[in-house]
Amino acid sequence: MKTISFILNGKKTVVEVRDSETLLYALRERLGITSVKEGCEIGECGTCTVLIDDEPHYSCMTLASKANGSDVKTVEFLGTADLLHPLQEAFINSGAVQCGYCTPGMLLSAYSLLLKNKDPDTDDIREAISGNLCRCTGYIQIVEAIKDAAGLCKHNS
Amino acid sequence: MPVFIGQDVTRIDALDKVLGRAAFAYDLKTDDMLFACVVRSEKPHALIKKIETARALSMEGVAAVLTHIDIPGENSFGAIKKDQQFLAKDRVRYVGEPIAVVVGVNEEVARKASGFVRIEYEELQVISDPFVSMTSPVLIHDEGNLLSHRKVIKGDIEKGFNESDVIVENTYRTTWVDHAYMETEAGLGYMDDDGRIVVVSSTQNIHYKMKEISRMLAMPPERVRVIQATTGGGFGGKLDVTVEGFLALCVYHLKRTVVMRFTREESFLAQTKRHPLHIEYKTGARKDGSINAVRVNITGDTGPYISYGETVCLRAAVHATGPYEVPNVHVDSRMFYTNNPVAGAMRGFGVPQLAFAHESQLDKIAGILNMDPLDIRIKNALRRGSLTATSQALEHSAGLPETLKRIEPFWRSRERQNDRRGFGLGCMYYGIGNTGVSNPSDCYLTFMPEGRIALHSGVCEIGQGSDTVLMQILCESLAMDDEKIVLLRGDTDTSRDAGSSSASRQTYISGMAVCDAAQKMKKYLEKEGYYSGRPLTDICEAALGKGDAMFEGHFDPPTTPVDMETSRGAPYATYAFATHMTEVEVNEVTGACRVVKVHAAHDVGRAVNVKNVRGQICGGIAMGIGLALMEEFSPGKSKSLDDYYMPTSMDMPEVEAIIVEDREPTGPYGAKGVGEPALIPQAASIVNAIKDATGVEARELPCHIERLKLLLEARRQK
Repeated sequence: MKTISFILNGKKTVVEVRDSETLLYALRERLGITSVKEGCEIGECGTCTVLIDDEPHYSCMTLASKANGSDVKTVEFLGTADLLHPLQEAFINSGAVQCGYCTPGMLLSAYSLLLKNKDPDTDDIREAISGNLCRCTGYIQIVEAIKDAAGLCKHNS
Repeated sequence: MPVFIGQDVTRIDALDKVLGRAAFAYDLKTDDMLFACVVRSEKPHALIKKIETARALSMEGVAAVLTHIDIPGENSFGAIKKDQQFLAKDRVRYVGEPIAVVVGVNEEVARKASGFVRIEYEELQVISDPFVSMTSPVLIHDEGNLLSHRKVIKGDIEKGFNESDVIVENTYRTTWVDHAYMETEAGLGYMDDDGRIVVVSSTQNIHYKMKEISRMLAMPPERVRVIQATTGGGFGGKLDVTVEGFLALCVYHLKRTVVMRFTREESFLAQTKRHPLHIEYKTGARKDGSINAVRVNITGDTGPYISYGETVCLRAAVHATGPYEVPNVHVDSRMFYTNNPVAGAMRGFGVPQLAFAHESQLDKIAGILNMDPLDIRIKNALRRGSLTATSQALEHSAGLPETLKRIEPFWRSRERQNDRRGFGLGCMYYGIGNTGVSNPSDCYLTFMPEGRIALHSGVCEIGQGSDTVLMQILCESLAMDDEKIVLLRGDTDTSRDAGSSSASRQTYISGMAVCDAAQKMKKYLEKEGYYSGRPLTDICEAALGKGDAMFEGHFDPPTTPVDMETSRGAPYATYAFATHMTEVEVNEVTGACRVVKVHAAHDVGRAVNVKNVRGQICGGIAMGIGLALMEEFSPGKSKSLDDYYMPTSMDMPEVEAIIVEDREPTGPYGAKGVGEPALIPQAASIVNAIKDATGVEARELPCHIERLKLLLEARRQK
């Protein structure tokens, strides 16, 4: 076991983890962040996506110890029921949510894209979420939501 | 009063889902819960000589190792027939069949210990092909290897072919497809304060699972409660009992809270798949393009247990002609047992496979007759007044001609941007609800003490949006804002049986049940002065005081059983219709096929929620692209998402969803269904587009990059 410390959704977090433990395990089992989903454990489906220093990572393929000293964000960082992030609002309004299992990871990949690219086109968006599988929506309304949110973010800034 | 039907009402579950706080089954786990995992057969066909549990049981942290001897009631389950054992007793029939359940203090302990349960087998001869199964002396079940043989007979098939000017005959093959919902099977079980067994799980049907658990534990159903957790996709794969039986058994013995979830590998290995079908298809047509005779011979691999095999057998047969009026029909549909994975329900119950065949046939005939593919479809399309293959007269809501008409401008003006591109059409019809059997839905409304109305619904929301749609229907029926209504859904304690979320049936059937209950309540509310301004809180209080608190709703679609010999009858009360037009681009060097654009026109009767309907259409197209171009489950080879390819955002075309509303008089505000129809014609239209682009005719799905490359090479050599 070793102690790691990192910023989790803006708060300094200290937790004891095993050397072999994944960040997915540490977040779910030790820190109670169940929005980070498990879909395959081999880095194929993207439901476990988190942001490390604002870049999307598969937390099932990332050792918890690697998060030491970094900034980790999960979907809880984006918004609250009273103050939704434009991406969350757009996902709701565009029909981008069906079963919802891929949604947290999808939102984080989109969030990371919008940090780097304020005005993404359809291809940029598709590429940004190409590591996040969705079995329900066919991605179309997700792409539309991200485009809408980008417009909203630009307008707000 | 606001209008609710036909509006883009926001999904009532969306907020929790974007905030990450929707509780899927495994999210409910806490540290004090035990974890259960399944020991599965490593042999495809064997007698079990011995199950050695002592070593696993002696390991630290192991709470129990349960086998068939620990089942107090009946060790059998099955949606259609009870032919599958919860835990195998003396024989296994597929790799992955459950034999024991190991319960430990946590997942690590349980999984490790499960490796120490030793099974001694005596191997039996394995049947891995339905054509071998057909004649083999090796019997998978004592009654023989033929699960089901269903026929559709109409007119005179010989005469039909004799009077045809063109006859086209081909064989089509499809393979196993995995549901691959993002959330694997999961759940938890506990004992409540009254000593009842409670299971919370990811499921498409709660009442069915309650009944299976009650039989297994020899307990009355009221001693069992099943609750649906937020469910991460179903597509037919969570209709069968998955984790529920094991959880209930563990709770029965241990009286502790137990959680389980299947790994992705386990879900691939052991859960049901789409049926691989071998389809011999012969079509006869007259010079004017009218289809005169259709002869189809379907041979399916249903695996070793029934699951929904009989359902697929019949539904595939009934839909074999496609959405066309054919005077002479003879279909034989047979399902054989094998030692391959159990094939069960998957979005479309065999109809997407048949659509691939009938749509390929139609294009072939059009080609020979030098007819436009759209014109031949318009000519033969089922419409009001038509007789289906089962001789059912379509009396209303038959919008196929309208979907064709809406596609027509795009089809007539299509232009190839380059010579690697091509266009294809695919049509379908699909019976809403179960085939030729009663499949009712029940619900009820109550007044709540806080002055609101509660909708008690047993309909499982699996991501398709049924919660929102049922609320819209109720709001419209009561002319009441949704703030005054509470949805109590997915709990056998607080709802009646609504049947499964399958067969595209919930909007239509449960929607009508909600209308029925609402009508009764509305009368009451009228009498009590609600619509002339008396506050609902008042009425609730008074009603509860008087005991006038419950309004029941019921609907069972009017169907007739089909004849066992000919399938003559009215197996469905209503049908959905659709036409897809797909543009593809094929790389002739690599064999890669990219779907560029899809126009999808669907007659849904009435779109209760337009955004949800469009969501179903886009999702169905994605799954159709997978079926056509990439998804292939090979037993023993496809083990995880590493070697099972499904569409990503990069594989999606531009989609234009066109909604046609030919209202269904027996449906809620005219609605039918769209969940499965969205998928059904997509693969067919892709295959036809590939033919248009390259001249190559794919007769086997998926037509993935390697298969298409081989076809292209073979064509060049010709």
